[in-house]
This record gives sequence, C-alpha cells and structure tokens, in this order.
Amino acid sequence: MIEVQELTKTYGSFQAVQGISFGLEQGEIVGFLGPNGAGKTTTMRILTGYHPATQGSARIAGFDVQTHPLDVKKRVGYLPESVPLYLEMVVSSYLNYVAEIKNITRSKRKSAVADVMERCGLTHMQSRVIHNLSKGYRQRVGLAQALLGNPPVLILDEPTVGLDPKQIVGIRQMIKDLAKDHTVLLSTHILPEVSMICDRVLILHQGRIVAKNRIDALSNTRTVTLHLSGAAETIRGILDQPAEVSGVTVAGQQYTVSYTPEARLDIVNPALVRALVQAGVDVQRVEQKSRTLEEVFIDAISSSDAEVSHA
Amino acid sequence: MRSIWIISKREFKSYFSTPVGYVVLGTFALISGLGFSYSFIYYSFTTETPAMYDLPAVPNLEEFFLSEYMVYCGLMMMFIGPLITMRLLAEERNQGTIEMLLTHPLRDRDIIFGKYFASLGMLLLMMLTAGVNLGVVYYFVDVEVAVLLFGLLAFFLMGAAFLSMGLFVSSMCQSQITAATITFAVYFVFFMLGYLAGDAPETLPLPPDWPAQVQSLLTSGYDVSLSMMKNVSIDAHARQMAQGIFQPADVAYYLLFIVFFIFLTFRSLEMRKWRS
Repeated sequence: MIEVQELTKTYGSFQAVQGISFGLEQGEIVGFLGPNGAGKTTTMRILTGYHPATQGSARIAGFDVQTHPLDVKKRVGYLPESVPLYLEMVVSSYLNYVAEIKNITRSKRKSAVADVMERCGLTHMQSRVIHNLSKGYRQRVGLAQALLGNPPVLILDEPTVGLDPKQIVGIRQMIKDLAKDHTVLLSTHILPEVSMICDRVLILHQGRIVAKNRIDALSNTRTVTLHLSGAAETIRGILDQPAEVSGVTVAGQQYTVSYTPEARLDIVNPALVRALVQAGVDVQRVEQKSRTLEEVFIDAISSSDAEVSHA
Repeated sequence: MRSIWIISKREFKSYFSTPVGYVVLGTFALISGLGFSYSFIYYSFTTETPAMYDLPAVPNLEEFFLSEYMVYCGLMMMFIGPLITMRLLAEERNQGTIEMLLTHPLRDRDIIFGKYFASLGMLLLMMLTAGVNLGVVYYFVDVEVAVLLFGLLAFFLMGAAFLSMGLFVSSMCQSQITAATITFAVYFVFFMLGYLAGDAPETLPLPPDWPAQVQSLLTSGYDVSLSMMKNVSIDAHARQMAQGIFQPADVAYYLLFIVFFIFLTFRSLEMRKWRS
C-alpha cells in the first residue's frame, strides 16, 4: 500500500531523512518511533505530498507522490503533528468544510460527518467553537478530520498526544479496529503504545531507519535464565554442550544461557531442559526475558550512534 | 471550480465569525460617508459662488466631485486592504491549516483563487456601501447612470488591484501583522510614485557642458522612468474612468496588475517545492 524507496530530504545542508526505504502492506499498522528530530514528521509530510522529496520515491496505492499528488491525496487521511484547525469555526461546520474539500457528495456528507463525530466522541461537542475546546478534544477533531471520507491509508502524526488515559485507550482501540480495512502509519514517542497497537515498528534515528521488524522479534532476547539445583559440574557440562549456546554466566543457582543468533529458541530450549531433567537436575524456573521496547529503542539508537562515530 | 467556491465561502464566512469583517465594513462606511458628506457640501458651496473658491465657472460634477470621491474610496483601500488580505494565507501558515489544505485533494489554484475571491467579496460589500452614497447623488442630481457605474468600476478595479498585491504579501508571511505592514508599505510606494512623478521637473536639468551623447542618454532614460512612474501609480488610471471616460488602457492596467500579483502568489505557494 505504501512503498518508500531511498527517500532523502535535505534542508540546506541538513539531511533530515537519509535514504530510507520501507513498505506497508494493506491492513498493516506500522509505528514510526524515534527521538525528536529523527525525521518522522518529515517522512510523513513527504508521503502526504506536503513536502517534496529531495531524492528517492514514495508510492501510495500505486500512485507516485510527486507525479500524481491528487490521486494520492484522495486516498490518504492525514493528521499532522500540529492539528490544523480553524479556531473560529464550530466543530460540525469545520468537519463539514473538510468533507466538502474531500469531495464527499452532499447526500453523504451529513452522515459521514455524523459518523466520524460519533467515532471520535465529538457528538456532544459538535456545536462548540473549536477555540473553546481542550487540547484533547482538538486532537479528536483533528483525528475526525483525517478519518472523514474513509480513506484507505491513514497517516497519523502522534495521534494520542494530549488525550487523557481513557481517551487514549479509546483511540488506540479505534485505530486497531480501523486496521481491518485501512493501512495505518503512525508516529509516537510512547513506546508501550507501539507494542499495543502496531504490527511492526520502524525506528528512525537521525534520518535513518536503525531497526525495522515485528515487535515480537525486536523484543525477543537471545538469552534464557535457568534456576537450577544440582551438581554444578553436571549442569555446566550439559549447558555448554549444544552448538547453539554461545556463553553461560553463573550467579549462584542462576544460569544465564546466551544463544547464537541462528539458534531457534523454541527447539533448543526444550531440548536443554529435557537433558537437564534426564541428568537429575531440578529445574526450578525457566525465564526468557523479553526486552522492553525502551531497551530495544535505546539499543538501536546507541548502536547506530556507535556506527556513526566509527565511520 | 467547486473547490474554489468551497474555500471562498469558508474564508468569506470567517470574516464575519471574527470581528474583522464588521470592523472593516464599519470603518469604511464611516470614513467614506464622512468624505462623501464633506465633499458634497463643499461642491454645493462652489456651485453657489464659484468665484469665492477661485473657480472661473460652476465646476463639473463628475470631474470635481464624483471622480474625486471614487478615487478617494479606492485610496481608502490602501488602509483597509491590508486588513482584508493580511490573514488570507499568513493565518493558514500560522495556524498550520495550510498543511491541511495542501494535503487534501486541492490544487494551488483552488486555494489562491478561493482566497482572492473571498477578499473580492469584501470589496463588493464595500462597493455596496459606496453605492448607497452614489444612490443619493443619483436621486438628487441629474447625472447619467453610466457615470456612476464607471465610478464604481474604477473603485472595484483599484480595490481588486490592492487586494491581489495583499494576497501575494500574505502568502510570503507567517504573521498577520508583518503581512499588513509590508502590504501597506508597498501600497504606499505605488501611490507615492505618481506624486513624485508629478512634482519632478519635466526635463532633466543637466550641466550644458556635458557631451551630447551623455545628455541624450540620460534625458531619454529620465523620460522613460518619469512616464513609468506616472503610469504605474495606482490611482492615476482610476481618475478618468471615474469621470465616465472609458479607456481600455486603464482597465488593462488594473487587470495586468492583478494577473501579475496572482502569478507571484502561485510562485510563492510553489516555493515550498523548491526548498529542498
């Protein structure tokens, strides 16, 4: 649905985005993660046709963003980072205006506006002037604006900023529901949010993608901690045996086994436990810690920093 | 076309959902009304006793009063125009709503013409106000309707020219205050050029001992720039039109003026594509 190839954006001498490539399949929710100034917003702006790319190409639903901007814009719902609202307008007339711009026919306009207001919890606020709304409600109006007309692709720049916890849960659920027939690219600083909503994550840092993978793959570690009671030598003998084990550290009865990157944990782990039990070692506990997204994020960023400083 | 209308409609409405529209129309009604009353009273005095005002005969209504009034209305656009145009694109930039417009299925022309037509809508309302004053003249004085209509046309063209320039300045700015100030400055330069040209000597005074080639070069350069200054002045072309004298060149001046600044506005919006 979205294909990005070697996308580069430079502002003067500053390279905001440096040759990134990625793709989104239909129905996927992908999270853009990165520190401030990583190039998330710039990439989204290129995808929505607000900024042209310096180099590289981006296609949405098969249309090139630069050569067929109108075809792309018809298919994309975009919530910019700073919510674009006319503060002097009333909520319902603002949404009606957006519906008009999106070329929703008069007969469908009223129900389309009512529908997005319902979904974003704005129905009781529809006759309020936007200027008087709280940040959370303004954010919801922005989201409603993006959803209007049911575009197949949604690009949401920090959709849950400024919402209260209850609203955040609601919006997250809504985005998950949308994924059934939409493709969603969203950016956020909130790491748990990504693991909750997204199928995949793209971590951006200084204009480069430093990690792209499924959430579970990123958060998996290659180590298992075993709590064992038995003769230490027997245990070491068994643990050191498989070729997949790259190292063992011992702390009392805790044995932390590191596997090589090729090892398939779902096969090696049970085999190891079986061997221990057969040797008469009591297996108290097996822990496979998954890294939190914070750890993944910081690892990804610091390893890319290290690469840069080596180069 | 439909998108132009949608944008235009919202923009025009927003003049009246903020105080701007009322302030602009109220101010115009007040000042143009005062100017009208004063000059009408003055004119009626001169018709009673022309000699007291150093006039050889009863002055011509169109030339002495109507034309002056319409040009006065047009010149008021110099002060009111910036208030109408300052928000058009600067506000969109400031609020970030330009990002919404540019990421929706709209063309640049929808945005630019939509905005411009909304400002012309304000001008039409102002013409209506001035039209009431002209209606009073028509009721009391035996004057041709065509003269009054040409007067309004002169006002419209002058106003539309001012607004197109304001739209361009607004497209370059993020702050409304900056937009209004620069717009006023540019208006004023265009206005003053005519007066500067009027006060400048007809021929360039040069020392007679300079070589003839230099003399002729400088003189012809001076003549060209003098006539350019006279003709580029924004009120010069309205004066004759407001007397009911129609000259295609006068209308063409304003149309070209508008086309030029609308063209610049297109380039200014496109600038986002060059900045890479």
